[in-house]
Amino acid sequence: MAGTYSLGIDIGGTFTDIVAYDQATGQIVKAKELTTPDDPSRGVIIGIRNLLGADEAGAEDFSRMVHATTLFTNAIITREGAKTGMLTTAGFRDAVEIGRERKFELYDVFISKPEPLVPRNLRAEVPERIGPDGEVLTPIDLDALRREVDGLVAQGVESLAVVFLHCYANAAHEDAAIEAITAEHPDLFVSASHDVSPEIREYERGSTTSANAYVKPLAQRYLDNLVAEAGNLGIKAPFFMMLSNGGLTHIEEAKSRPVLLLESGPAAGALVAAHFGGAAGEKNILAFDMGGTTAKLAMVEDGHPHVSYSFEAAREKRFVVGSGLPMNISTIELIEIGAGGGSIAHVDAMGLLKVGPRSAGSEPGPVCYGRGGTEPTVTDADLLLGYLNPGFFAGGSMQIDRDAASTAMAPLASALGLSVSAVAWGIHDVVNENMASAARVHIAEQGHDVRAFTLLATGGAGPVHVYYVARKLGLKRLICPASAGVASALGLLIAPARVDRTGTVAKRFSEMDWPALEAQYKALEADASIVIEATGFDPSAANVTRLADMRFAGQGFEVVLELPAGPYDESSAAALQAAFEEVYRETFARTPPDVEPEIINIRVSMKADVPGVEVTADAAGVVTDPKAGSRPAYFPENGEYVETTVYNRNAMTPGYRFEGPAIVEESESTLILGPGAQARVDDQLNLIVDLPEED
Amino acid sequence: MPNEATNSANASLDPITLEVLWTRLISTVDEAAAALVRTSFSTVVRDSHDFSCVITDASGRSLVQATDSIPSFIATLPATIKHFLDVYPADQLEPGDVLITNDIWMGTGHLPDISVGKPIFHNGKLVGFAGSTAHAPDIGGKIRSPEPREVFEEGFQIPIMKLMKAGEVDETFMRLLRQNVRAPDEVVGDLYAQLTALDLMERRVGDVMTQYELADLAPLASEIQDRSEKAMRAAIRELPDGTYTNEMPTDGLDVPVTLKVAVTIDGDEVRADYTGSSPQVGKAINCAMCYTYAMTVYAVKCAAAPDLPNNEGSVAPISAFAPERTIVNPLFPASGGSRALIGHFLPALIFGALAQVVPDRIMAGTGSPLWCINLAGVKPNGKPFANLFFFNGGMGATHRTDGQNCLSWPSNISSTPTEVIEQLSPMRIHRRGFRADSGGKGRYRGGLGQEVEFEFLNETPAALAMLAERTKTSAPGIAGGEAGALGKLEINGVDVDPKAQHIVKQGDRLILATPGGGGYGNVVDRDDSDASRDKSLGYAGE
Repeated sequence: MAGTYSLGIDIGGTFTDIVAYDQATGQIVKAKELTTPDDPSRGVIIGIRNLLGADEAGAEDFSRMVHATTLFTNAIITREGAKTGMLTTAGFRDAVEIGRERKFELYDVFISKPEPLVPRNLRAEVPERIGPDGEVLTPIDLDALRREVDGLVAQGVESLAVVFLHCYANAAHEDAAIEAITAEHPDLFVSASHDVSPEIREYERGSTTSANAYVKPLAQRYLDNLVAEAGNLGIKAPFFMMLSNGGLTHIEEAKSRPVLLLESGPAAGALVAAHFGGAAGEKNILAFDMGGTTAKLAMVEDGHPHVSYSFEAAREKRFVVGSGLPMNISTIELIEIGAGGGSIAHVDAMGLLKVGPRSAGSEPGPVCYGRGGTEPTVTDADLLLGYLNPGFFAGGSMQIDRDAASTAMAPLASALGLSVSAVAWGIHDVVNENMASAARVHIAEQGHDVRAFTLLATGGAGPVHVYYVARKLGLKRLICPASAGVASALGLLIAPARVDRTGTVAKRFSEMDWPALEAQYKALEADASIVIEATGFDPSAANVTRLADMRFAGQGFEVVLELPAGPYDESSAAALQAAFEEVYRETFARTPPDVEPEIINIRVSMKADVPGVEVTADAAGVVTDPKAGSRPAYFPENGEYVETTVYNRNAMTPGYRFEGPAIVEESESTLILGPGAQARVDDQLNLIVDLPEED
Repeated sequence: MPNEATNSANASLDPITLEVLWTRLISTVDEAAAALVRTSFSTVVRDSHDFSCVITDASGRSLVQATDSIPSFIATLPATIKHFLDVYPADQLEPGDVLITNDIWMGTGHLPDISVGKPIFHNGKLVGFAGSTAHAPDIGGKIRSPEPREVFEEGFQIPIMKLMKAGEVDETFMRLLRQNVRAPDEVVGDLYAQLTALDLMERRVGDVMTQYELADLAPLASEIQDRSEKAMRAAIRELPDGTYTNEMPTDGLDVPVTLKVAVTIDGDEVRADYTGSSPQVGKAINCAMCYTYAMTVYAVKCAAAPDLPNNEGSVAPISAFAPERTIVNPLFPASGGSRALIGHFLPALIFGALAQVVPDRIMAGTGSPLWCINLAGVKPNGKPFANLFFFNGGMGATHRTDGQNCLSWPSNISSTPTEVIEQLSPMRIHRRGFRADSGGKGRYRGGLGQEVEFEFLNETPAALAMLAERTKTSAPGIAGGEAGALGKLEINGVDVDPKAQHIVKQGDRLILATPGGGGYGNVVDRDDSDASRDKSLGYAGE
């Protein structure tokens, strides 16, 4: 290797993807290694070595390294974090376990709430009390605190969360506690709730802080190790981490607030969708990633992935909202649906065809894989519909068995009184409806019309399903990017440095102390600048956005909106109110009469763009006829199987045009287009498809 | 051939198109529920999720209900829509109309629940209704407690009427409503949130009918209802035939109230007969028949078919009977503001009967009903305030699980965070934690209740009312399990009548301890590891 490279490292559950991007040529070199769960840095180092080649030369050519990982999320799911203790305000150690007292499933008498990460015997109480306006009601008893901490340490606690009531209004007691703890136990890991999540609502804040404490020792060891190992290879480039919100931060911030990295892997995928969409001239993208077990949807508005300010980790039931541990972190908003190629079809108690969320996964996998699967899946249906090529599955690396798929489908067909091919189409259609419904609800919750979006498909099964999902949503266009296989790792290289900071105000406009509000924003901005600077960027060139969680006084849910630029004083009230009401009306159609707005939380988002990254896909350069034959495939518009042209995507060059119905094959996936679709290849080898008008 | 119905107007609904349309409608009510929660003004709706959204056919038979609905409204709201139709038949409805009521007998059993319904027209024809019920933050009258003797004392009554006529809000009604409630901005704000939800359902149903070229919802409705009914009947057939009785005392008032049920499983039907239950009383714990029926349906569904979707069909095989003028079927002008104090026992009463034949499908008695405190007074600035906060007890144990600690059942009302309570109301909370040993002992332990200590900070005396039960009669265990701990309420160290209104002044302290759930099986059979876990976590005392 030679030149100046950026290195993207994405550690997933199965594979570690490493991408080196040559800043001079736009070329990409990639490596895929099995993840090494016992010490994930090992897989990374092996991958980098492979990229470097036998002589391990060129390590000094890396100009920066960017890293995303699902390690911390997985540690919470598998409960393999550190032994963690908690200190709370006297009388409130159970807040984090009592939770909100609501069932996530109404009719299940065997329901089980998610267990808190810190068990009750490791939660100790400290005499202290702050009131709702930040006033000290009971001074903190530091002697009692030291005794409790000694007790927890004696029980083997390695990491400690400190969660005091109303600390978002006054952090003095948490600060004093941290100081006293570190003085006595310098090796103990500590997380203060006002530092991790300075927001009202003690259960959610406590849950977030526990999670931070729970993964903090792991984060520190792992990241220190990785940096050291990379150093041993001669890599001197600065090292950045991808946050759940799609921004980058430096390694010390990641070690101090690892909870912010829970969703870092999926975030990178959404960034890549925004990037490819933007390159194709589309600003409003619905990123649609369908793999073996789940489909993920993320909304990109005006070129930016949508960010949500809450998240649920380690759900008891993966797809049931409310069954996880709440996390107050900003994440790229993703919805996950139990719909993938391996999703199993069955007939339910009402005689209806249902698909998923149960999945055959990759083992045993769909029936057609011939690895012992017996229940028909989405992939089996797609094969029977003619969408998949039995001789060219996964780039020809795998044989799939059409007859076995057909046999497995027969019991469903007889239960439903339909033909096997009708059932196959039914499975395709039902799983598409599941995804389209999820997309529709999700986008509506943000107050948008789904028809203004373009669907961008990635993942093994995404391109197979994208066309009819787009039809269901009434969309006009879809995009299928090239080399989606290493999308997440690519996303790392195009991410901006980003810092989000938040604070609680909880005041209605008539009671607002405007100079104090301005000072609070300024303080958050100053804090964010420090991180941006430490990440190697110039804060004065960074893009600063002020946001607020606002509602009408008396409401309980806030709308997060971008505010007009500051500074604010009494005269800003009208502009802020107008901004709020506009967003509110966009979302909910009508505003209630005669009530004033209030600001609950304020947020500052500071972003510094990475200079000059222009990713270009590998040029194909082979001028052959992309038409590679034909085979029968089923299209509902025809109501029957029709002989359909098969295209070889790798032979397509920019400017190539064709029409649906069409089957477009490439090594990782197959794109299906229905009759009337108009497709073309753009400069970056994206396929841009215009859908026919509804009839 | 594969389903052509997707693209053809006249084909009947095959199972695949039906599944697709059904999924679409469920996502519509869920979307409406999300909008209602996000735009509401009360902790009752947004934190406690005390609401429902429904789509019915033109005759008021429900097709789909929001996943987030609470059990009572799932059954009462479709019935309310039918009452709307009785008063305003199709020929008296036009696009843009919205009907409203909070009638106890035609609504949900108490006045704070405001139900609204909007007829959905498609190509000029009435095809269905969008409906919503939500618990208003206040409804005037005496603050919510069991004290009122008649419905007239309980607040502002809204007969079935048009809130909107052809898109125009009835301003006279709005002025009357505002004048009669303590928190008019919140009450009216929530009503607007409900209208937002109705609009959304109306629009989406129109879209789907256009896209699928449906002239009417009726064929879709009957498919959904018929298939659900068949599935419910099949599930009921798995329960052994017979009549199973149970009787349960509750704290009641000066004397205990007795609840009695005979549950008959007859092939593919279930009937609950409440004959023998106590007469209606001159306090607001009477439980209107609509609520009695809703709780019956909830219990049967938990035991027979927890995964079935909610619609008219899935409840059709379940019926309930109670003689008139009993506490489970009171007549006008009975009061019912605190009907949960009776109604929430009914699922446990039915479970107790079913325990004789299907103990593996039910759970022991729970620390229900939900408890709440309601504080109303005047702020230093002269403005009135009214706060309502909920607290839950422990759930019952089952044949394979300990009862969950502090979880709402049978309703699904969340609590409000301590920090939010202290921001919103003149109260300080000094402690809030599990009550060790409050779960009934057993092979599987009942869930724990919680203990909360409040101090009142209001400068002028304020009225405190509570909903509380199981302070005298505990949640029973089953299969040899022991009963859960009693709940308790103390003001300044003295036990107080949980069903009376109290005046509290600055510095007064209230201790509220919710009941524990009942245990399952004999405690001698409890696993040592479970027992030692209880000790190490402090769920059980030393």
